[in-house]
Amino acid sequence: MRDRVQFGLMLAPYLVGLAALVVLPALAGFGLAFTDYNALQPPQFAGLTNFRDLLDDEIFRTAVANSLFYIGLAVPLRLAGALLTARLLLRPRRGIHLYRASVYLPTVIPDMAWALIWLWILNPVYGPLNQSLALLGIDGPSWLVDHTSARLAIILMMSWQIGEGFVVCLASLQNVPRDLLDQAAVDGSSAGRVFWTVTLPSIAPGLLLLLFRDTIFSFQANFVPALIVGRGGGPDYATTFLPMYIYTTAFGYLRFGYAAAMTCAMYAVTGVVLWLQYRVAIHWRLGFGNVD
Amino acid sequence: MSTSVAGRRRRQTLDAVHRLVASAVTLLFLLPLLWAASASLRATGTPSPRALEWIPSPIAWENYRTVFRLIDLHRFVLNSLFVAALAVPLTIVVASWAGFAISQLSHRWRLRLIAFSVLCLMVPLTAIWLPRFILFKEVGLINQRIALVVPAVMGTSPLYVLLFTWTFLRVPREVYEAARLDGAGPYRTWAQIALPLGRPMIVAVAVLTFVHYWNSFVEPLLLIRTTDKMTVSLGLRVLYSLDRASWPLLMTGAVLVMAPVIIVFILAQRAFMQDVHGRSVLGE
Repeated sequence: MRDRVQFGLMLAPYLVGLAALVVLPALAGFGLAFTDYNALQPPQFAGLTNFRDLLDDEIFRTAVANSLFYIGLAVPLRLAGALLTARLLLRPRRGIHLYRASVYLPTVIPDMAWALIWLWILNPVYGPLNQSLALLGIDGPSWLVDHTSARLAIILMMSWQIGEGFVVCLASLQNVPRDLLDQAAVDGSSAGRVFWTVTLPSIAPGLLLLLFRDTIFSFQANFVPALIVGRGGGPDYATTFLPMYIYTTAFGYLRFGYAAAMTCAMYAVTGVVLWLQYRVAIHWRLGFGNVD
Repeated sequence: MSTSVAGRRRRQTLDAVHRLVASAVTLLFLLPLLWAASASLRATGTPSPRALEWIPSPIAWENYRTVFRLIDLHRFVLNSLFVAALAVPLTIVVASWAGFAISQLSHRWRLRLIAFSVLCLMVPLTAIWLPRFILFKEVGLINQRIALVVPAVMGTSPLYVLLFTWTFLRVPREVYEAARLDGAGPYRTWAQIALPLGRPMIVAVAVLTFVHYWNSFVEPLLLIRTTDKMTVSLGLRVLYSLDRASWPLLMTGAVLVMAPVIIVFILAQRAFMQDVHGRSVLGE
């Protein structure tokens, strides 16, 4: 009995903190979406006005489209990168932990430093990226000036920070049952076939979780790149992803209620994307096929 | 006989190719950092080179002194260290308490709390920006360094609690049982049995937490107003706003700000990678 009280006390800071800093704010965000609030005067109930305004807001529509474009390219690229790199660095050999640590290293770099570094790398004239391309005889794009290449540039810089996915893939690959792989090798399957028919199905559940996690993460992770590398979401709103627009609306224009409605919309968009991914996974029996 | 020689040669070739590809890929991951380091050593005021340059000549070490003159980097570092010095121990205590309690509860409660933690982990941070900002404003935490420490009260992230839960669950139940029969209550069992056994995880969570608070950009951006209270990431932004075209100095700032994280990561790399996912993942 006394023990249970003490366990409760040990849990208290965590649960109370979580309630105050995560659960209640998340719920309050929903409430805020139905108000006009500028953080100076008390909030005014506004009904569905904010949501109606969203429908007519062209920048918001652009932001949703930008975010979906970003998710559609960045998430598959990050997942494929993590999986292929993990496969490449799977076998133990001399110095392998150095190789693996190097792959993880970009992930621990502070967002702000990473953004500045890429601002330099992407400089069209002096940046090392276009200068390297020039060595190959390629005339590099003027990255952050042009609409499409600015977005691609941000997707590119985020494809380096895949340490978490890399570690998860590495762990899943190490868990693939040895005897299944040996059996396939005895049957004379080529390495590529073994990967598709044995390895991939058995790591599919882990990959699926990673896909969900990376989708949620990617929706919000492009804020600092958009702020610094996109110089506040430009050029011409090309890198105005949802978090960037939410930030500008709230802390630039002090329209907190409207920004909260946008956050709700972002939840909804994220939910729809996750649901679609789940449907596709079910359809291809990915991650669930080998459970039953 | 000849086939086995051919086979061995084939394997050796494959091995060499693999080594080459692995090295190339690894290098690719380090390339942005190498470029930044190289650019940080160019003399300021000289025209930027029109062709790729690895080692600038002359090497301008003085950039590393200039940055400290341009912005109050000392203060920013002290502020970041202040936040980390409070947040890291607090996180370890709170997260390991919660993790230990969850690992000792009945199966049903354990599952509930784990599910709840995972759910909270999924809440996008963007969704919390505004309400949390308003909450902090109401309780007068705007432009206070201590505001940046507040998330440590809940163990910073449910992930860290889950990591501790898994660590403590792997300890055989009899060990805890024996402590209980000796008359040890939950606090003593936590302090004398669980924590010593979970030492590698403590190192891993400490590293993750330090990196989290040192790197944190959005929270200080929203909560800190005046230069004297800024942390290193905001300091970098100040440097950027001073001169957006002085690449050598910007890269020097970036290198200085990321150096501590890289050093901590490399020092703790084994504990970090091994235990976050329960076993040796990096380097057998």
